[in-house]
Amino acid sequence: MSKFSGLLFCAVMVLFTSSASAQAAKSQAASPTTTPLVASGKPSGKYLGSTACKSCHQEIFDPFYKNAHNKSVVSGKEPPERTGCEGCHGPGEGHIESFGGPGTIISFPKLSKQQVLDRCLTCHNQTLSRANIRRSSHTVNDVVCTNCHSIHHAATPQKLLAKNQTQLCEGCHLNVKAQFSMPFKHRVNEGFMNCTDCHNPHGTFQATWANGARPRHVDNSKANEEPCMNCHADKRGPFVFEHSPVRVDGCMSCHVPHGSANSRLLTRPVVFTLCLECHNGAGNLGRQGDGVKVQAAAPHNMANPVYQGCVNCHIKIHGSNSEQKYFR
Amino acid sequence: MRKNKLAIFCFVTSAALAQPPVAPSPTSASTTENDRGNYNIVNNFELGYRFHTVGGSQNQYRSTVNYGNGIRLLSGNMLMNSKDGKGHLFDQLSLTTLGLGRDPYESSVLRVEKNGLYRYDVSWRQNNYFNPGLVTDGGVSFHLTDTQYGMQDHNFILFPQAKYKFFLGYTGSAQQGPAYSQEFGRAGIQLMDVRRRWNEYRVGSELQILGIRLNWMRGWEDFKEDNGFTAAPGGVPGFPATANANLRGLTKADPVHGTNPYWRVALFQDFGKWFSWNGRFTYTSGRRAFALDETFLTAAGANITTTRAVNFGNAQRPVATGNLNLVFAPIAKLNIVNSTAVYNARTQGDSTFAQLSPGTPTRIFSYNYLGVRTLSNDTTVNYQLVKKIGVFAGYHYSDRYINSSESGATNTKAQQTNILNATNFGVRLRPITALTVQLSAEIGRSNRPFAPVIPRNYNTLNGRVQYKAHNLQLVATANSDYGNNPISIVTYSSHSRRYAFDGSWTPRAWFSLDGGYSKMHLNTAGGIAYRATPPAGTLITGEQSLYFSNLHTVYGGIRFVVKDRVEIYAGLTRVQDTGDGRATAAGLPIGSPRAVFDVVQTFPLTFASPSARVSLKINHRMRWNAGYQYYGYRQEFNRNPDLGYRANTGYTSLSFAF
Repeated sequence: MSKFSGLLFCAVMVLFTSSASAQAAKSQAASPTTTPLVASGKPSGKYLGSTACKSCHQEIFDPFYKNAHNKSVVSGKEPPERTGCEGCHGPGEGHIESFGGPGTIISFPKLSKQQVLDRCLTCHNQTLSRANIRRSSHTVNDVVCTNCHSIHHAATPQKLLAKNQTQLCEGCHLNVKAQFSMPFKHRVNEGFMNCTDCHNPHGTFQATWANGARPRHVDNSKANEEPCMNCHADKRGPFVFEHSPVRVDGCMSCHVPHGSANSRLLTRPVVFTLCLECHNGAGNLGRQGDGVKVQAAAPHNMANPVYQGCVNCHIKIHGSNSEQKYFR
Repeated sequence: MRKNKLAIFCFVTSAALAQPPVAPSPTSASTTENDRGNYNIVNNFELGYRFHTVGGSQNQYRSTVNYGNGIRLLSGNMLMNSKDGKGHLFDQLSLTTLGLGRDPYESSVLRVEKNGLYRYDVSWRQNNYFNPGLVTDGGVSFHLTDTQYGMQDHNFILFPQAKYKFFLGYTGSAQQGPAYSQEFGRAGIQLMDVRRRWNEYRVGSELQILGIRLNWMRGWEDFKEDNGFTAAPGGVPGFPATANANLRGLTKADPVHGTNPYWRVALFQDFGKWFSWNGRFTYTSGRRAFALDETFLTAAGANITTTRAVNFGNAQRPVATGNLNLVFAPIAKLNIVNSTAVYNARTQGDSTFAQLSPGTPTRIFSYNYLGVRTLSNDTTVNYQLVKKIGVFAGYHYSDRYINSSESGATNTKAQQTNILNATNFGVRLRPITALTVQLSAEIGRSNRPFAPVIPRNYNTLNGRVQYKAHNLQLVATANSDYGNNPISIVTYSSHSRRYAFDGSWTPRAWFSLDGGYSKMHLNTAGGIAYRATPPAGTLITGEQSLYFSNLHTVYGGIRFVVKDRVEIYAGLTRVQDTGDGRATAAGLPIGSPRAVFDVVQTFPLTFASPSARVSLKINHRMRWNAGYQYYGYRQEFNRNPDLGYRANTGYTSLSFAF
C-alpha cells in the first residue's frame, strides 16, 4: 500500500510539474518581451541596449563594470530582456522617446513588494539558497530584495548590500540588536561573525531539531543539523550517553544564541537552577516517560556551593562516551 | 550632490550598530581609485596601536571584551575589478581583513572571480577565547578555558553563471588549549591539553533536468580530539588536598575520532509568480570511535596500588531528513504555502569498560539508545485584501516519537509521543507608503513536551511599526511569549515580554543621530526537587525555582563632520538588569525558604560602554584616527568572587589609501 501510495504521489507530482512547466512556457510565449511590467502603465518599445542609457545616467553607467550584474553584459549570451539596464528596467525605447518621462520605464520604488520580488526572481530563482524565498517570513512580511540590496549604491561590493550586513539586519531586528550588546554574546558587532553564519535571509527549509520549531531563517548545517554544529563540532557527537535534551529539543533548551547577561549564553545566571528545573522528578516527562531523574541521595547537597556548580562534576554535559552521568 | 549622498550613507551606516568596538574606524581614508592596465584598484587599510588598562576582574574582562595592547592592522580592504570584464586570470579580487596582528577577533575574507568561469571564496577566522567560569561555585571555578579557535572556509564554484555548476568546498576548524576532564571514581577536575580538529570536504553540482533544478552534495566530515594528561609531581591542580596526598602518579589519554559522511539532494522549480516547489533529502551517517586509557597510582601506607581503567567503543547516529515545500499563488493577491518536514535519528553503538584493579571485573556497557522521529506540516495562507491591508493565517502540526533505552543497573526502555498543534495569524497594514504596521499572534498546544521547561501551552504576540522616510527611520517592536507546562509536581511557567524602539535621523550630510531603547522582561517559575543537608541526602520537594530579569538596553550615537576634514563620533551603550527590584541579594522568602535560592532568583548587573572617536583628514590619501572606549561591568550584589571590572581601551591609527 505504501509503495503504491509513493508511486501515485510521484506520478501526480510529475504530471503536475509537467503541466505547470507547459503552462509557464505558454504564458511566457504569450507575453512578448517588449511589454514587461511597469507599475504605472504599459511600457512600449524595443530594447536598445545599455549604451543608450549612458547619456542621461552616466553616473550609474560608468562604474557599472564593478557591479555583479555586469557579468550578464560581459557574457554576451543573454537575451536583451535579461541583461544590462533593460534586464531590470524593461525596454528603454519609450523612455528615451519621451525624454525620460515618468511611467515609461520600470522604476523599482514604484513597484509593489511582490512585483519587486517577481522581477528579481526572473533571473535569481536558479540557486538553492534562494529556493525558499517565496515562503520566507521576510517575504510574508513584505521585506523583499530592495529592502536589503542596493543595486546602484551598494555599501559592499559582494552581495550589493545597502549597508554592512550586521547593520542591515539590526536595523529591523531590534531585540537582537539589544542582545548583541550584552556582556556575553557571539562576536557579531566585533566583525568576527555575520548574521548569515547562522541565518539565510532568503528563507530556509523547515527546521527539524525541535518539535514545532519555526524556520526563523535559521540555516541548517550542510548535514541538516543546527547551525551551532558548524563551529561547535565537539558538541555534535554521536555520544554513547547523549544528554537527550540536546538531541531532542536542541541547544536552545539551555542557551540563548545571540547574547545574554549570563556566562556561556545560558538562560540562567547560575547553573544549578537551570539543571534543577528539569531534574525535578516530575512525571510524564523525560526520556523514560516517567520523569527526569532527581539527584541521587549522595553526595548531592545544594546548600554546598561546590554542588551548585553541577557541571563542576558533570563536565561532559552535552554527551559523554565514558560515563553515564557525564562525569568525563 | 552624489558626494553628499555617499556621505549621508556612511554616517547612517556607521552609527547604526548597538555596541560597535571603537576601532577600526568606519571611515576609510579615501575612495580614490587607481587604474592599472585593465584593472581598477581601490585599496584602503588602517594601521594602529591598541592599548588598555583594566581594574577589577581581569578574567571577566578577557571573557567579555579581551582587546589587548599592541600594533594591529585594524582593517584592510582591497578591491580589484577588470574594466572590460575579461581579465586574464580574474575579473574581481576582493580582500577584507580585520584585527590582524593579535586582536582576539581576527578574520580575512577573500574572493577571486573570473566571470563565467569560476568563483573562489575563502574566509579565515581566529578567536582567542577565554572564559573564567560560572559565578556560584564558591570562587573555585574549574571551568577555565583559554583557547585558540581557528576556522577556515573554502568554496569553489566552476561555471557560476551556467546552468550546470560544480562545487568544491572545504571547512576546517582547530581548537587548542586547556579543557577539563575528570578521573574515574574521584572528586576533582583535571585541566587537559586538548587538540580538536574538524574537517569537512564537499563536492557537488547543480544542473537542470526537464526544467527542474537539481542540487546535490556529498560531504565528508571528520572530527578528532586528542588529549593527554600527566600529573605534575605536586599533584593535580584542583584536586582536593587529601586526594593529592595519596596520589603517586596519573596518566590519561582520551582520544575521539569520527566521521559524519553525508548526502544532500535538493530539487526545486520556480514557475514565476503562481507556483514554486522544492524538496530536499539529507542522509548523514555519523560515527565516533573513542578510547579512554587512565592509569593512576595511589599510596595506602607503604603500599602502592595501580589502577587502570580502559574504555573504548563506537557510537553511531544515522540521521535522515526530508523537506517538501509547495507555494501556490493562484491569484496575485493570494499566496498559499505548505511545508512538510520529516526527521529520523537513531543513536546506537557499543562500549566496553574495563577497570583493571584488584578485585574489579570487566564490565560491558550497552549503549543508551535514543531514537527521534518527527513529522511536521505547516500551511500558511497569505491574502492581500486591498493595497494597504494584508492578512495571513497558518496551522502547524508536528508529531514526534521518542524511543529510548537507558543502560545501567536497570535497563529502562521508554517510548513517548508528543503532538503539537499551533495556529498563527496576523495583519499587515501600510496606511501610507512610509509606514508599515505588522501584528501577529500564535497559539500552540503540545500534549506531552519532552522536558519540563518546554511549554505545553504557549501564546505569542508580535507587533511592529516602522516609519521610513528619506532621512528618518523609526522602528518600534513589541513581543510577548507566554508558556506554561502543568506537570505532576507544579506548573512550569515562563513569561517573556520585549519592547524596543530605534530611530536614526540624518538631517544633513554632516550630521546624524542614532539611538534606541530595549526592554526585555523575563520571569519563570518551575517546580524543583533537590537534596540538601542536614540530614544528609534529604529530598526537598514542593518548592519553586524563580527567576526575574528586567534587562534595559540604551544605545545612542551622534556623529558630525567639521569642514569636511574632522569627523567626530560619540556613542553610549548601557545594559542594566534591574532584577526584581530588590536592594540586596536576600529576597523575599518565596519559592524556597533557603537563602541559596533567594540569591539566585535575580541577577542585577550593569554593563556600560561609552565611546568617542575623532578622525582627521590629513590629505586625500591619509587620515589620523584616535578613539577611546570604556567598559564597565558590575554585578550589583557583589557576588564572590567579584567579577566586576573597569576597562579603559583606546587606539590611535593611520588610515591609508593607495
